[in-house]
Amino acid sequence: MTRIPLVNLEQQPESIRQWTARRGNLDVFRLLANAPKVFGGWTDMVDELFASPTFDARMREVIILRVAHLQASRYELGQHMPLARSAGLTDQQIDAILGAGGDAEDLGGDFEKAGFDRAERVALDVVTELCGTHRLSDESFALAHGVFGDEALTELLMIVSCYYGLALVLNAADLEVDVAARFRP
Amino acid sequence: MTRIPYRRPEDMTERARELTLERGNLNVYRVLANAEKVYPGWMLAGRAALTSPVLSRRLRELVVLRTACLMACPYELGQHNDIARTAGLSESEIKAVVSDSDWQTAGFNSVELAVLQLTTELLITRGVAPPLVDHVHTELGSEATVEVLMIIGRYAGLALMLNALEVDLDETARLPNLPTT
Repeated sequence: MTRIPLVNLEQQPESIRQWTARRGNLDVFRLLANAPKVFGGWTDMVDELFASPTFDARMREVIILRVAHLQASRYELGQHMPLARSAGLTDQQIDAILGAGGDAEDLGGDFEKAGFDRAERVALDVVTELCGTHRLSDESFALAHGVFGDEALTELLMIVSCYYGLALVLNAADLEVDVAARFRP
Repeated sequence: MTRIPYRRPEDMTERARELTLERGNLNVYRVLANAEKVYPGWMLAGRAALTSPVLSRRLRELVVLRTACLMACPYELGQHNDIARTAGLSESEIKAVVSDSDWQTAGFNSVELAVLQLTTELLITRGVAPPLVDHVHTELGSEATVEVLMIIGRYAGLALMLNALEVDLDETARLPNLPTT
């Protein structure tokens, strides 16, 4: 049961109705729209993350799914597993992303066996270390920086940051996954 | 030492530069501006969070400091240690809120305490016990409860970026108090 009432989207200001009509009438938006003074800014951020050509949909979903898993966000997982499949991830790859968050070396092996390319594996390792320890070692930073460079690494962190934070909001509200509504990237 | 170069405002797009200078030429902005395709949106989300009148500045700074502490983020702690003073928090209150457990006995009122408890539980366990959410919701209502949760989410996410890039705390520059909308 959701612990905070969800707003009726029909009764929201025009800008919110238009945005949700475009992105999907998801319960997460009905939750966040309780705070209309900050919801608009948050949607501007989401729009730019999904409009940016820096990462393809596949890489973006790899990052999001790993964050969702490590943050134990059923809602994010429920919305993004179908998106990950549409972006070309196989069931074996999704299973690997949803695998245990434990031993980094074993994980690397799983990710390689599942057929992730090097950049994807580096991204997965960055997310795992950052969500687990809240920082990055010199070695991990150097490796990721070598693969992605200043702009893409910072943008990768922006995606992690957005979904890490959103998972906290969703978990606190204990929001159920939508029955049918799906996010439109 | 900050791990990637700073973007100079004169090298940013006009929109990014305006959004940056509105809040001061802080290291956090100069670093995140490297992600130039998504930086303006992130700044707009921040402007909304910082100018909304729904939460008192005092309550917002309590949540930010508690989040910064649990995320072990020196940059957020350094900035908000000073900002919190301008929001009516005393030196001993600030010390308490960034400690393991002193905040529980530092004389915060019952709403502040419930919000600090929620922040702590959420960041440590990634969830919150239902009675605590209900308590905060009863005290604050839906709008302010969602804003509290979004502040926790924003500053927890920002802490990851600041820590990953090891952004140096600005020597003296601090986020100014933006007028509410």
